[in-house]
Amino acid sequence: MTAQKLPLEIEDIKKLIPQRFPFLMIDRVLEASPEKVVAIKNVTANEPYFTGHFPDQKVMPGVLLIEAMAQAGIVLYRQKFPNNKLLFLVSVKARFYAPVIPGDQLRIEIFNIKLSSKMGLFKGEISVNESKVAEAEIACGSKDQKKS
Amino acid sequence: MADKMQEEILDIVSMVIEKEKDQIPLDAHLVQEVGADSMMALEILAALEKKYRIIIPEEKLKEMTTVNRIIAMAKTARGSRKK
Repeated sequence: MTAQKLPLEIEDIKKLIPQRFPFLMIDRVLEASPEKVVAIKNVTANEPYFTGHFPDQKVMPGVLLIEAMAQAGIVLYRQKFPNNKLLFLVSVKARFYAPVIPGDQLRIEIFNIKLSSKMGLFKGEISVNESKVAEAEIACGSKDQKKS
Repeated sequence: MADKMQEEILDIVSMVIEKEKDQIPLDAHLVQEVGADSMMALEILAALEKKYRIIIPEEKLKEMTTVNRIIAMAKTARGSRKK
């Protein structure tokens, strides 16, 4: 279930995480193990949320940076537990250091703090050009997916 | 030594569940009586593993119901590491 040929490209990522356009917040996964995941997101002026955030000055919303870390966190979880459980956020402690604007390439690094099959605890960091723009400690819970 | 560990673990529990230490009786059920949740249990477990450099298996989570049981569990895990 977990494709191990790195880097993982978008079609491989879509097999691991349930989010879809316009909510896919990682473009590529460079490193993936149960201890660490490194993912990339390229931010472009075409992103739909820039229409309103803000009309005269495009800044990527902080909550979406958290979402990007959470999605990379799902990739981390799946490295250890290749099931299809739905993961959801339980708690987030985050800090933002600099605005993210179109043209930035986000490097999202996720480190395992504690993963269990039912819950996960991990630390995330996002950097642009090697300077940190956001970090967070994220806890997630899991739920069996409804069969459709 | 034992008392020091008890104090340290109480510190961790109090920090994670955001309650004063005197509001956490050692034998009170953390979820039912003190107001913790399962995610906090995982945070406590992660903090213990880091502090004492031990590994606590996932199955032990549901046994972590009171501070006294957490202390006993941490001691057992520490003991088996030294061997």
